[in-house]
Amino acid sequence: MFFHNFKYSLKTLFRNKMLIFWTFAFPIILGTLFNMAFQDIEKNEKLDIIDIAIVDNDFFNSDSLFREIFEVLGEENEEQLFHIQYVKEEEAKELLSEKQIIGYLILEDSPRVVVNQNGISETVFQSAVEKITQTSEIFKNVSEKKINDFIEEAQGEEIGNYNSWYAEIYENLMESLEEESSQIRDTSSENLSYTMIEYYTLIAMTCLYGGILGMTGMNQCLANMSNNGKRVSVSPISKGNLIFSSACASYIAQLVGLLLLFLYTIFVIHVDYGSSFPLIVLLSLVGSFAGLSLGIFVASFFQSNENTKVGIMISFTMLGCVLSGMMGMTLKYVIDKNMPLVNRLNPVNMITDGFYALYYYDTLNRYYLNVVSLLLFSFLFIGISTFCLRRQRYDSI
Amino acid sequence: MTVFKTFLKVLRSCKGTVILYSVILILFAVLNMKSGDNSFNFIAEKPDIFIINHDQREGITENFIHYFEENANIVNLKNDESAIKDALFYRDVNYIITIPSNFREDFLKHKNPIIEVQSTGDYMASLSQMMLDRYLRFANVYNDTFSSEEEVIEHLTDTLMKTVDVQVASKLDTDHLTQVTNYYNFANYSILAGCVFVICMILFSFQREVIRKRTMISSMNYKKYNRKLLFSNGLFAIFLWAFYVLVSIVLFGTSIFTSHFIFYLLNSFLFTLCALSIAFLIGNLIHNREAMNGIVNVIALGSSFLCGAFVPVEYLPSFVLRIAHFLPSYWYINTNERLKTMESFQLETLKPILMNMVVLIFFILLFVIITNIISSKLRRKSA
Repeated sequence: MFFHNFKYSLKTLFRNKMLIFWTFAFPIILGTLFNMAFQDIEKNEKLDIIDIAIVDNDFFNSDSLFREIFEVLGEENEEQLFHIQYVKEEEAKELLSEKQIIGYLILEDSPRVVVNQNGISETVFQSAVEKITQTSEIFKNVSEKKINDFIEEAQGEEIGNYNSWYAEIYENLMESLEEESSQIRDTSSENLSYTMIEYYTLIAMTCLYGGILGMTGMNQCLANMSNNGKRVSVSPISKGNLIFSSACASYIAQLVGLLLLFLYTIFVIHVDYGSSFPLIVLLSLVGSFAGLSLGIFVASFFQSNENTKVGIMISFTMLGCVLSGMMGMTLKYVIDKNMPLVNRLNPVNMITDGFYALYYYDTLNRYYLNVVSLLLFSFLFIGISTFCLRRQRYDSI
Repeated sequence: MTVFKTFLKVLRSCKGTVILYSVILILFAVLNMKSGDNSFNFIAEKPDIFIINHDQREGITENFIHYFEENANIVNLKNDESAIKDALFYRDVNYIITIPSNFREDFLKHKNPIIEVQSTGDYMASLSQMMLDRYLRFANVYNDTFSSEEEVIEHLTDTLMKTVDVQVASKLDTDHLTQVTNYYNFANYSILAGCVFVICMILFSFQREVIRKRTMISSMNYKKYNRKLLFSNGLFAIFLWAFYVLVSIVLFGTSIFTSHFIFYLLNSFLFTLCALSIAFLIGNLIHNREAMNGIVNVIALGSSFLCGAFVPVEYLPSFVLRIAHFLPSYWYINTNERLKTMESFQLETLKPILMNMVVLIFFILLFVIITNIISSKLRRKSA
């Protein structure tokens, strides 16, 4: 009897077009939209080559420090920072107003930078010019000190040519300022792509939306919810058997939807779920189970019509998604940081956070904490549902 | 009046959804508002940095930390590993600097102590890297030149205080206009979803078989009936538009009243009419309540994502923008974006904006024509 009911539950679920749209197609559509909108967002946050102009006047031509450093910064190689045009002042103003450059530098008695607005490129430009002014200050201080030292050492002897000293100090200084720094070691993780959170919430959403399948499956067995339920209730099959087979069918349907989404996100969108395949599978199975238990809970606990139950499922899931970062991952961070309990109790976040831990963390503690929380959540809800369902008998309905 | 009354009745049942879309819009706008001063003076961007100091805060170490306190935002975090890791991942900090335990001693002994950093790799992190690199290089040069720590610190501080004079040429308050533009861009979603959802629901209620048959045999002329329905829906759309405009005035205050504002108004009004025409098209095409729900979501979310209502246009890949050209939202948002940087209003500068509006009008006409063709076909079929 188990297989009989299982088979027909599966068939009814797959034939319900609206159900299939919301649990199978909608996450894939949303994933596609995320992908189209977000695929370049992180690339755009890297520093691009900045278009600037330098006013080509006598001050600039006679200042070797400015000339040389900007020559290096404008060289076409991997580390190129600026794309520089050397122009007359009028032309620079025009380029700026046409927004072909973000700003220009004009050397008069002191260097002056003209920009259109505040911004990161403008700050980098300002910072570069500042560095050169500061370098010339260093050159002044260092040469002053060194020449004083020389004079002291020489003590009235012939001290030779100042100019060659300057040249030497200048060269040494430029060398030490240009050589590759060995003092900074970058230890950041490579897995820093925060848009992944969006896809993780998508998986989590699908897991919990899958609960609607479980709920519909359950409603088919409940005498107070459907005609089908009335019919099967009078049949000589144990209720446990009936409900268990429906739940299994819903779980299978849920996993099919999840598998489709996984295949799509991995092969089409190239989402990175971390490297441990068995753990990804475990989290998905447990996540779907949590969705199923939520569905069964809503079906058995609330004594209302099907629309209200669907409404409860959708609003609970969507609220969970928002809190776990679907509409902007900052919200997840803010809640994790300031109200950790909220997200510890949020099943959507348990799934999202589990994937995040697999992707970003080196240790598995956080991952397992989420898996265990999901299992606790599921068993709690199934426990309550069993309590609500047992001994439900109707003399007439 | 009967039609209008029924219209209001159905409208009341949709109020939850309309409130939801409006709340999302207002929430977005409020989150987006930065308390920025006018940008006529140049303000350098400051990266968010967290410093883990294993050394005593004295001498050069103190100076090092002080330099970042002056030139960056030092973020306060709990000093435990996962809090720091999370902060970096979620871009709460752009750059984490770890000062080793014997930094000061090693530095003064010219041992070049290693500074460990963790970075998000974005432009703020690059800026932090530039600052750190500059500090270390300058400190090393002075350390090689002067013998005492005090002298090194004194010269280093003096040098790093030398700044450059920066002028802002544009007289446009870009921060303010950016906020207004973001608001109206996001309104793309609220207007589209709100209008399409509500109007589809209303059309759906009026087109239910029993009701349609009842009105068909009533004494009311069907042209008059259609006109009233169109008028009521149009009234709702305009009301929704006026409400969102009012919200923008409340949010941004009277400073919104510039010549830009007229164009934001005109543009959003045209777009509302366009949403109305889309709603009529869908309402006539789809006669299944649940399917409609799905379609409204896909259309509103889809065109908002693809045209730059949620993600700024400059971040969207070029192929997405090419697809977006086929959607009215693209032209609506394009106008908003152009307004953001518009300094003078002459015929020459207004041309692209007027062209966008013409395209919107073209879309409206197109949708109206398609709706007419479809509904006349459907009517013949059912008759």
